Amino acid sequence: MSKTPLFEVENLHVSIEDKEILKGIDLTVNDGEVHALMGPNGSGKSTLAYVIAGHPDYEVTEGTIRYKGEDILEWSPDERAQKGLFLAFQYPTVIPGVSMASFLRMAVKNVREARAEEIALNGGEAKPFTPREFRKLMREKMEMLKMDDSFATRYLNEGFSGGEKKRAEILQMALLEPQLAVLDETDSGLDIDALKVVSEGVNALHDSSDMAMLLITHYQRLLNYIKPDYVHIVMDGRIVREGGPELALELEEKGYENIRKDVAAAAAGN
Amino acid sequence: MSATLTQETGFSRDAVVALSEMKNEPTWLRDARLQAWDVYESIPMPARTDEEWRRTDVRALKLGNLHPFSPNGHKEPSLESLLSGFEKGGVTDRDAQAGILVQKDAATAWAEANPALVDQGVIYCDIDTAAREHEELFKQYFMTQAVPVDFGKFEALHAALWQGGSFLYVPKGVSIEEPFRSFTTSTHPANSVFTHTLIVLEQGAEAFLVDAYGSETFEGQSLASGVVELILGKASKLRYVQMQDWGRDMWSFMTERATLASDATLNSLHVTLGSRFSKSSIGSHLQGEDALAEMLGISFADGDQFFDHHTWQLHESPYATSDLEFKTALKENARTVYSGLIKVSEGAQKTDAYQQNRNLVLSREARADSIPNLEIAANDVRCTHGATISQVVPEHIFYLQARGVPYTEAQKLIVEGFFRPVIDRIPVEEIQGFLEGAIARKVGI
Repeated sequence: MSKTPLFEVENLHVSIEDKEILKGIDLTVNDGEVHALMGPNGSGKSTLAYVIAGHPDYEVTEGTIRYKGEDILEWSPDERAQKGLFLAFQYPTVIPGVSMASFLRMAVKNVREARAEEIALNGGEAKPFTPREFRKLMREKMEMLKMDDSFATRYLNEGFSGGEKKRAEILQMALLEPQLAVLDETDSGLDIDALKVVSEGVNALHDSSDMAMLLITHYQRLLNYIKPDYVHIVMDGRIVREGGPELALELEEKGYENIRKDVAAAAAGN
Repeated sequence: MSATLTQETGFSRDAVVALSEMKNEPTWLRDARLQAWDVYESIPMPARTDEEWRRTDVRALKLGNLHPFSPNGHKEPSLESLLSGFEKGGVTDRDAQAGILVQKDAATAWAEANPALVDQGVIYCDIDTAAREHEELFKQYFMTQAVPVDFGKFEALHAALWQGGSFLYVPKGVSIEEPFRSFTTSTHPANSVFTHTLIVLEQGAEAFLVDAYGSETFEGQSLASGVVELILGKASKLRYVQMQDWGRDMWSFMTERATLASDATLNSLHVTLGSRFSKSSIGSHLQGEDALAEMLGISFADGDQFFDHHTWQLHESPYATSDLEFKTALKENARTVYSGLIKVSEGAQKTDAYQQNRNLVLSREARADSIPNLEIAANDVRCTHGATISQVVPEHIFYLQARGVPYTEAQKLIVEGFFRPVIDRIPVEEIQGFLEGAIARKVGI
């Protein structure tokens, strides 16, 4: 029997306010793999990201999402995060009055505790996580992402520039150590220097663990820094082409319109 | 151990006499109480036809079942046990306080003041002591200027039956950074607590006082009828924090008035967490030029709590500034009313007044009303006010949940964040911690 895949999306149909956005998505991600999901605006990429994270506004009308073989659709968003799923938001929310440090401590505490339970269930022994360790870990990760110390004392994303918000998302990912990270347009709003720093951080995390990733992006640009194993092109709520890294280059060259024509022609030929 | 209550319930002229006799008070003081009683009797109970009481129904409060006063208490040997109900009251370092006063059922159970300050003429004691030992000051300021006896029904009752309370007097030019900490608690059912805070700062004096009221919840109803009088002399500075965390049997009425002479600065914060019913009237009279009043409020109502805050920014002199921000969070069936008035007198040109009330509603059943008002008789002023009533943004909750934080904890973070900017305006870490702790316990309910 083959090993259960880490993450499977099967015939996923999703609506918001009775409008169907995803019209049958199939996707399988194994441990450590990097998948890029590319597509034009409005194709449904971000919808998929939100549905994976459990956003309550989206209704799954058909199909399933399985994580380590378990159906996750009934899980609350916090349960998903605690089990090792992570979404780096395209537009991280500003929450006034909540300091970055107190929020991160609470997030890490919850995720670690859930993980400790899981380790205990499997007969292992989880190490307790002290505040000192947390501070050390946070300093380390902030250094890796070239983030200023003052970050920790600022309110959550308040007054952050676009680039700072994206770095803060990756910092959270680094602290929570997910097994599957969905990065929604993490490259948008980043200048080339920031893109390099963020990509290096992401690569370091990926290389040091068996974390799998789903990169959602418009452009090939990000993929110059984070190399995907697989590329999927989404249009109008469906995956229309799949391939290796070369597909992203083809897309870059041809543009979405030509791909769309190719797909239409192929469909007509059938 | 608190003494057993033997006296009859209900308020009466006889009760006023009995209280005064129990305390062995001089005739002048007993007469003052009896005069106040006459005023109380002459004023009708507030009705919903009165504008200030329009949204506030006191008919359910049964005054006849209450004990009109508490017996004499005694000093207690340990501060620790006294403050246990206040989670030690945030007093982590006793040497960092200017003074500590603890009152249990209106009897002083603990009183200490930094001797170096006493040497400089600072007085910090309960009001019974003030009336006995500082008669002139008492007669000059106690319910004569800021909140006169005939201010209203409950204020007159207070003037007839006050017990305990705290009195702080700071002479000219004396500046004290450390806080004075007053704690008041009630330890039996059907109690009446008439808390009183009288602070007098002479010219150029500076002080910081934190009042904390708290009790467990008893059967039936209890009454807290408090008066706070803050008298700020020229160029004096007062920081005043009040934290109300009474048990859920308590019906709390609190009237506070500050008078500010020229160049005086008041920074006040009112935190309202406890009681079944709470009506607070908080006002600043800006009587001198260039006076500044910063008035902050935090309240969090849950269950069937009813909170009513009325604020008054009374500009009576030119060039004065007032800056008010009151924030309320509500959940379950709680109901809150905020009503604020900026009143600018005819001569008060160049007034700068700001008033903001923000409400965060956490349940469908909770209801907040906000009524800002302006009454301006001068023509060269800047007055702005704003009120918002909003709900928690679902995207905020989702974001926090997506980081593994469960729904209730996410809500807690958001409520704490809502209050945080106000707490950050208090410069003492220990007091910040005290407030944070109290709010966190409340959010955690």
